[in-house]
Amino acid sequence: MARRTKIHVGLEIGTSKTCIVVGEVKADSAVKILGIGETKSAGVRKGEIYDYSQTRACLKDALAKAEDASDVEIGSVFLSVTGAHILGVNNRGTFRLPDGEPVVTPEHVEDARTIARDIHIPQDHVYLHPIIRNYWLDGLEHSTSPIGLFGKTVEADFHIVHGIGTRLQNSIKLVREMPLEVDDIVFAPIATAQMALNHEQRENGALVIDIGAGTTDYALYLGGVIAACGCIPVGGDHITNDIHLVTGLAFSKAEQLKILEGDASADALRSVGTAKLTDERGYAEVEVDRSVLNEIIRQRLEETLKLIRQRLPTGAVEAIGAGVFLTGGTSLMRGFSELAFDVFGRDIYRPELPEISGIQASFKDPRYATSIGLIRYAQILETERAAPPGVIGRIGRMFWPFGR
Amino acid sequence: MITYSHAPQETISPSSVKIIGLGGAGSNMLECIALDGMEGTELLALSSDARTLGACLAKEKIQLGVNLTRGLGAGGDPELGRQAVLEAEAQIRAAVQGHRIVFLCAGLGGGSGSGAAPIVTRIAREEGAFVVVFVTMPFAFEGKRRRDQAETALNELAVLSNALVTFDNNRMGELVLAKQGIHEAFTAANQMISESIKAVIRLVVRPGLINVGLDDLVSALRTNRSRCLFGSGIADGKDRATKALRNALASPLLDQGALLKEAQTVLVHLCGGENLTLFEIELLMQNLQKYVPESAHVLFGAAVDPAMGDSLSLTLVSALPEDALTNPRETPGQTAATVEPSPTLSPIPASESPAAAPEVKAMEIPPIPTAVEPETPSLFEAVDPLPSAPEETIIDESLFSEEETPAPAIGEFTALATVEISEPEIEVEPAAEVEELPVLRLEPAEATPQPLPWAPPSSYETSADVTSTQKPEPEAPKLKLGIKTSSPQSELSLDSSPRGRFEGEKPNVFEGEDLDLPPFLRKKK
Repeated sequence: MARRTKIHVGLEIGTSKTCIVVGEVKADSAVKILGIGETKSAGVRKGEIYDYSQTRACLKDALAKAEDASDVEIGSVFLSVTGAHILGVNNRGTFRLPDGEPVVTPEHVEDARTIARDIHIPQDHVYLHPIIRNYWLDGLEHSTSPIGLFGKTVEADFHIVHGIGTRLQNSIKLVREMPLEVDDIVFAPIATAQMALNHEQRENGALVIDIGAGTTDYALYLGGVIAACGCIPVGGDHITNDIHLVTGLAFSKAEQLKILEGDASADALRSVGTAKLTDERGYAEVEVDRSVLNEIIRQRLEETLKLIRQRLPTGAVEAIGAGVFLTGGTSLMRGFSELAFDVFGRDIYRPELPEISGIQASFKDPRYATSIGLIRYAQILETERAAPPGVIGRIGRMFWPFGR
Repeated sequence: MITYSHAPQETISPSSVKIIGLGGAGSNMLECIALDGMEGTELLALSSDARTLGACLAKEKIQLGVNLTRGLGAGGDPELGRQAVLEAEAQIRAAVQGHRIVFLCAGLGGGSGSGAAPIVTRIAREEGAFVVVFVTMPFAFEGKRRRDQAETALNELAVLSNALVTFDNNRMGELVLAKQGIHEAFTAANQMISESIKAVIRLVVRPGLINVGLDDLVSALRTNRSRCLFGSGIADGKDRATKALRNALASPLLDQGALLKEAQTVLVHLCGGENLTLFEIELLMQNLQKYVPESAHVLFGAAVDPAMGDSLSLTLVSALPEDALTNPRETPGQTAATVEPSPTLSPIPASESPAAAPEVKAMEIPPIPTAVEPETPSLFEAVDPLPSAPEETIIDESLFSEEETPAPAIGEFTALATVEISEPEIEVEPAAEVEELPVLRLEPAEATPQPLPWAPPSSYETSADVTSTQKPEPEAPKLKLGIKTSSPQSELSLDSSPRGRFEGEKPNVFEGEDLDLPPFLRKKK
């Protein structure tokens, strides 16, 4: 197994930005970022492409920048997708071993998995990730494959992520036209989780929430495996729109206000007075009552977090041991940790803003979490593929029947 | 080479300005001016109180009533003050002689101020100077007697002076907190007056790109027995235009700009450094428009003074008739009345000299457009009913003939202003239009009240370029019609609430709620 450095490229077409990250996986499994190419997105709304040509132009631009920055000719990418249509469900498939075969063979496992994957998904949906979570052998949970063990019933617990096929295909088509090959498509929060959570945190139970401009993606890990994931089509743009609708300010001013003066905590001290925006040219200032502004922001974010909480399986939030990890551009909102604490009641971890600039800093920048996570995902995938078949390591639980 | 008779100097040099402080209050004001420094102007202090004189910083001092009051004050008796000044008449005359403009500062109500001020004004007028009188009215708590004395003096001054600027001490109370020391209160008041004096001097002394002269000042302060509205602001740095306007409007005399709503004529003077931009002027004037009624006549002047550096100073001068402060009155009729007699009074020489001037002007300084009211020479005569009128007119002419400028300049200027402020879709006429010889239209027969400064000057007959600005009038209604026809709605949305950014998209329904609507609004229902 020759372990040479491999270069992976992660591509995220988001609502606010299109971002390509070129990373190098070293022999010791460390990831080094070679370059990032980023453009402001046009033609993407709530995580989904609605204007094909505009998005293509943005993608071309980002690609050129990334190639320029990293000095690498990019041939294939890992694509992250998101959208409200993508759903994640857990399903367990049971396979009873036929008589006379006491030992579990790979075929049995395979059968169990087939059954598990065979859940009723809507007509136009396709599988994105059928992720194996656990195996159960006669009621006992096994984390690794029970091949070679005695048992009567094999159960495979899967987490199936599926979404509307045509939309996914459009995204792939877009990338292919660049021309670029698509190594894999990944549901965004799963990629983010690769970056945001480490092994121990996943073990203890952690929830990753990535709030971007158009969507809020979340992924819940319990006991080391993924328990839930999904996407809520509300993002930072909604907050700006809310401010715009309630106060009547122009969109750009609302955006500035949100970034500069917004506060999502319910702290009464911070909601005193008015928030002002002055223009350099001496144009009319924009003035908004701070309490109104903060209330708008807080209600929107609170609703979003509550929706996530509803979507999680019952008892899941209590099972979160490590905490809630917030990432994404909108998570930079002031007072957001207080609000998240109010909703979830768990330890909240926010990405700290990088003090240093440069490539190193982007590692921790919450806005690039997804794209960088893709690199790591790619690395894991590579590790898994490189491993000899039959040995499915704990890390390599990701399966992808791509194109099915 | 073409020889032409050089018109006498068009600007008034600082050395021909004299500032006289009369009485105790006047000396205080003078001190303020002296401390702030006003290059070139001469300061003269007049008082019957030797102690005040001694303490004053002015270069020139004349003691009034040496024999009469013997170094003591006038004791609050105007009669005494009057006699005292008559004693020193010759000295005063000598001091004032040769100066073109005299500013007289006095505090009315007392002896020297009320008694001597009218006399000094008369002397100055007799010497041929243009007299601007700044007076303060006593506080209400000083009693009725002083008030009456002040009023009497005010009446006389109104008649005698060319321009009268009145400050009400009661309003000064707004300058400082009532809790602060009396010293500070008076200092603040004095500073305000000195600021206004300096602003007026700056107005007059410095020729601007767009000139306002004393004639404009007079027309701004036209109504008799008027209370002066004065505001000045200085600011620098970014958005200095807005800051300066705010500072100017913050003056208690303008009552945060509310009093300007009643004004009929407003004089606006902007002075900036080399980097004064047209944009800032526009911005400022636009903001000012909110405070000034539409029917007001705005006299606009701008000057560039390199000494200003980065700062921008704005001066607003206007006047309200006294009763306007208490009840709405008929000043339009009044102003019309004052204007009407003008055509009859305008003597031939007055109309001749401007006739000579334009040709001269056009060759001398073609590109500078100026905005000077054409009827002001006649106005002067209208305002001044003294028997010495004939000599006045001659003096006034010589004083101001050079300040008259060809009418189309105004047309151009207002066209510029019109263009920029009210009708943005018309292109600005280049200032070079002024070069062409104007059709002389000295129209003192402008009997109608002042036209809207921003309206196309219909009475001005000028080149076709100006008439092009008249096009917006008939076109505007058409434009409005065009705007009113709205595009047909494509979809009937059952939920009529606006969706801002997500307008036109199908509702983002998620578990029963439309997520595109703000929770802030949804929860309210």
